[in-house]
Amino acid sequence: MPTPTSAPPHSAPDFLSRLASPDPEIKLKALRDIKNQIIGNRTKKLSFLKLGAVPAVASVLAASLSHSPDDVIHNIVVQSAAVLGSFACGFDAGVRAVLDSASFPHLLRLLSSPDDKVVDAAARSLRMIYQSKLAPKFDFLEAKNMEFLLSLLNSESENVSGLGASIITHSCESGPEQLALCDAGVLKKLINLLGGTLSQRNASLESLAAIFRGNPDVVSKFVEGSKNGSEVVLKCVGSEGVNALTCVSELTKDRNLRTRLLACECLIVIRNTCPGYLQDIGIKMKLVNLLIELLDDPGQVGDDAPSVFSSLITEKEDMQKLAFEANAVNKFCHHLQKNQLNPKRLQGVLLALSDLCAKLESCRLAFLSLKVLNSVTDALTHDSADVRSAACICLRNVTRSIKNLCAGYFMNEMLVIPLVRLLDDPSISVQVAALGAISNVVVDFTTRKSTFVQCGGTKQLVQLSKSMDSTLRLNALWALRNMMFLADDRCKETIILELTASLLASLIAATSTGPEAFPFGMTAPTFQLQVSASVKSLKRSDKVYLIVNLCSFGILTADPEPSIQEQALGFVRNLVDGCAKSIEFIFAEDGIILDAVGRQLQSASKAEIGIQGMYVLGNVASGNEFHKEAVMHQLLPQVDNGTQSFMMKFLQSNDSRLRTAAVWAIVNLTFPACPGAFSRVVKLKNAGIESQIRNMVNDPCLDVKLRARTVLTQSMTFSDGLT
Amino acid sequence: MPVRVVESSTLSQVSDAGPGQTSPQVCTLLSVGQAFSGTQNVSNQQKDEAWRVNVRIQGCDLDHGYLCGTMEALNVPMADTPVVTFWEGEIVDGKNYTFFTGKWEASPEDDIRHWTKFPSFQPFLGQVELDGGKSLDLSNYPYIFMRWKEQYFVNVGTDCGLTIAGFYYVCFSCADGSINGFYYDPNSSPFQKLELKSTNEGRSGFSFSSYELQ
Repeated sequence: MPTPTSAPPHSAPDFLSRLASPDPEIKLKALRDIKNQIIGNRTKKLSFLKLGAVPAVASVLAASLSHSPDDVIHNIVVQSAAVLGSFACGFDAGVRAVLDSASFPHLLRLLSSPDDKVVDAAARSLRMIYQSKLAPKFDFLEAKNMEFLLSLLNSESENVSGLGASIITHSCESGPEQLALCDAGVLKKLINLLGGTLSQRNASLESLAAIFRGNPDVVSKFVEGSKNGSEVVLKCVGSEGVNALTCVSELTKDRNLRTRLLACECLIVIRNTCPGYLQDIGIKMKLVNLLIELLDDPGQVGDDAPSVFSSLITEKEDMQKLAFEANAVNKFCHHLQKNQLNPKRLQGVLLALSDLCAKLESCRLAFLSLKVLNSVTDALTHDSADVRSAACICLRNVTRSIKNLCAGYFMNEMLVIPLVRLLDDPSISVQVAALGAISNVVVDFTTRKSTFVQCGGTKQLVQLSKSMDSTLRLNALWALRNMMFLADDRCKETIILELTASLLASLIAATSTGPEAFPFGMTAPTFQLQVSASVKSLKRSDKVYLIVNLCSFGILTADPEPSIQEQALGFVRNLVDGCAKSIEFIFAEDGIILDAVGRQLQSASKAEIGIQGMYVLGNVASGNEFHKEAVMHQLLPQVDNGTQSFMMKFLQSNDSRLRTAAVWAIVNLTFPACPGAFSRVVKLKNAGIESQIRNMVNDPCLDVKLRARTVLTQSMTFSDGLT
Repeated sequence: MPVRVVESSTLSQVSDAGPGQTSPQVCTLLSVGQAFSGTQNVSNQQKDEAWRVNVRIQGCDLDHGYLCGTMEALNVPMADTPVVTFWEGEIVDGKNYTFFTGKWEASPEDDIRHWTKFPSFQPFLGQVELDGGKSLDLSNYPYIFMRWKEQYFVNVGTDCGLTIAGFYYVCFSCADGSINGFYYDPNSSPFQKLELKSTNEGRSGFSFSSYELQ
């Protein structure tokens, strides 16, 4: 049956020419038409954006403000403000275009118009802008600005007071800002808005969370200071003697799902900020169950629920346990298996699962039993970098299961190949997240470490250990160190061949260099002077790159990051562990690695470096006579330069782990039945080390005490010779 | 055939630590990567028999009183290759676990009968009879008491004719790294003794490796 044809739609350029028309009626019609076309339609917004519609509408608004107002002009102002707001609504490219068009100050100016319709349209548009991260930061510490904000919050108009709340949500970050808002009476106004319309209530809950986050003083003022102080509170809970906290709690039962979610978020922020509040098991369970329920919402509430859930349980083992008991692992895994989850929801679900599996083995086992690992590995190749990163973080936490690592469950191509591919990802955060998962997977206690080598993983890790980015360098070395744990000799050889002794030495400490090491016949000071002159003009990341690469040629100082030095030493510790032959690795290239360890220990900047370094020396000292003497050489250099030996410093350290590591090295050096043991005991005695060990036989740390006694027992074998 | 033990509520697990109840101190000889070797006496009335055993610690989480590793039995008569099992350990710290097992078919009487086989347990007997030892401070004691429960076979199938139904009562000496244990399984010969010593893999001294999960 024939149907009536609709009028042909206007083409986009036609809209632009109509906007430029001198006839105000045509302008107004064009604005209304654009608004109807783009409302809720992202594709249309984008196509109008590309044609330059936003600057055109901004010009219309600016021009109309300079005209004397009549009905048409008034409508043009309202409509152009509305169109700009529609462009900005949930669309960052639109927000950027509106900000670039310089309409933002015009919209602010419209808020002081005597006409309610104009004010409302401008406030609505500004709210849309303030819902984006791109919106300009509002300075609450300016007295004039605070006055303006309070005037917004006092407004009867839903959009105007909502704008005030949105400004707070967007801009309130620091402690002084939170306190300034609190002192200006904003809390009371926001509590009043909790009793307003749905939109005001939700905007208020979001703002309250922003003012509370990380500020216990403000939270206390809210909870304690609002007792009996607000009609809204009374209206909420129907009785006196309760506080605003109860009011927010009541809103978790609201009919509107977003209100429930925002109330949950507000309570979680309060709980996380002031651990004294909301510790009742009932409220904890209520929050867990509510957020699990909200996950079922197919819309934005369901998309946002996982991240709110994560904020409830992250780093809190008791909450993770409660969530596990509430069947959260099953619920999130069930969602993970649904097809076509939008990226935000998928990312949230993956991160929620990673938080659930962060500490509890029971959660990891439940996750693995639900056979969803395929869905997580699929997410490793997702278009969104955030999703790829979340999938890696989820795998990182699941692979903390030693029980499954021991079974070799994770070292398979299905998991390892996509993870290794992500080491080439264009996003650094994805690369770092992938390294986190790989660091755990390569611990693998079975003989399958070769799977990782065959996938090209080792080469990639070595490359990343030379990266300009220090986080990448750290995590790559961390993975290599874990891979080295209980690795067989073949695996060790493969890795050290790839990494090279000189690069490893440079990651540990300043490399000793002869004049021949410097280019163009320069002396060391001249070369270093020239390098430092050039370095001054570089950005920090480039400096690090230069330093690392100069180090790899054995020219400059150590990696500048202590945590990287620590991982490099941990790597060497594992390298020289295992069968006695492994100790030889440290003597490659004239002992460049051992020398670097010794130099690093002379100047170790933190206990962890000393601990790893002393275990390196201790492990080497568990070898043959040559190995033990090489360690002695590091401990007691021939030339006394007047500085205290690092061994003595470590034995006297406040850190019992460092004292333990240091005493173990002495245990190995004085190990009986070795031909050179007596001579070493004498040297250690002469250096005052034996006497220090005597002081440690009643060390408060049991481990230190027992090892010190072992040293003395071993030394007593030679007591005749020592007297 | 291995018999799967259904875990009942863990009576031995204490949720709240009382004052003075702290985890055992770190003992480097019981850290990840450490290896031990020795024998398990599996003699019965018919014949005397001992299997050579190697143990390696692979995971340790003192905060949760958790330890795990592998156990390799070398000259098992009915197996062609050494049999490797994965075990998980409960460290008796009065916080996470007490001397009372509360599962694996072990009654408090069974527990005390086994623990008293270790001379180093004697000072605690009275208190353990009262409350399982949950009020004891074991943090500075030079012995660490544990239960090791094998969880699965690593390199052979469950049809290998061996059982891992039981578990070990274990006493570790922090001084020299020696381990004594008694296997408990109501269906096996009682008091099979496990004796292990810290090994140094051909070195003249002790070597320590480490990993750190992210």
